[in-house]
Amino acid sequence: MPLDRKKLYSLLIISCLAGYIWLYYSIASTAKEGKTTYGCLLKNLANMPCPSCGSTRSIISLTKGNFDEAFGINPIGYIIALIMLVAPLWIIYDMIFKNNSLFKCYQIIERQLRKPKYAVPLIVLLIINWIWNISKGL
Amino acid sequence: MDTQKVDMFLMTNSKFFESHQLNMIRERLIVLDDSKWSMLSTIQFNDPTTSLIVSILAGSLGIDRFMIGDTGIGVGKLLTCGGFGIWTIIDWFMIQNATREKNMQKIQRFLY
Repeated sequence: MPLDRKKLYSLLIISCLAGYIWLYYSIASTAKEGKTTYGCLLKNLANMPCPSCGSTRSIISLTKGNFDEAFGINPIGYIIALIMLVAPLWIIYDMIFKNNSLFKCYQIIERQLRKPKYAVPLIVLLIINWIWNISKGL
Repeated sequence: MDTQKVDMFLMTNSKFFESHQLNMIRERLIVLDDSKWSMLSTIQFNDPTTSLIVSILAGSLGIDRFMIGDTGIGVGKLLTCGGFGIWTIIDWFMIQNATREKNMQKIQRFLY
């Protein structure tokens, strides 16, 4: 199952769609019941936040324009929001012009991420973020 | 290449590949030049069982995908809490086949 252009694009479309539905659902349920629902397996099973727990709340406060609060909840929210905004537009652009620039970009990023000089600092940052998440008690 | 050598290679490495690919690998190996044998015997394959264990223990962080070399998908799994836990469970069943496919890609570079 090598990841080709078609598979990557459909994977991205499905996950972006799921992300938007989840975002709508959690905004609606927060407005109605006043408490957030958790979609995280680790949080539900072990009651311990995972590195990306809180990104939904982060994106929700981003949509309200509270950039500082969003960073305080979870900085990963910025990355996810960026992907969710850019990926659908980029896929539509690629489909219209019959291009595969997103696929090429994905392959370049994947190749770069495998190099230790990028991988190690990112893993350290992620672990720091995880420790921060646990200490915040998300 | 010698039939005996090829059969020995397949016997020791059969668990790293899908069963339907084994015949094709055997045919390719027999017509392959003997000088490639030393290269071939040094390839490191990923064990499907190991990736299954990693997937069960740390699948929601995407570590199984990182391990077999699917860095992009691994990042996706990591950022979404393992795809809200759904993708994690799907990958418990998919990861062994994915690992075998990756091994196939690895050996294909030597076969052609």
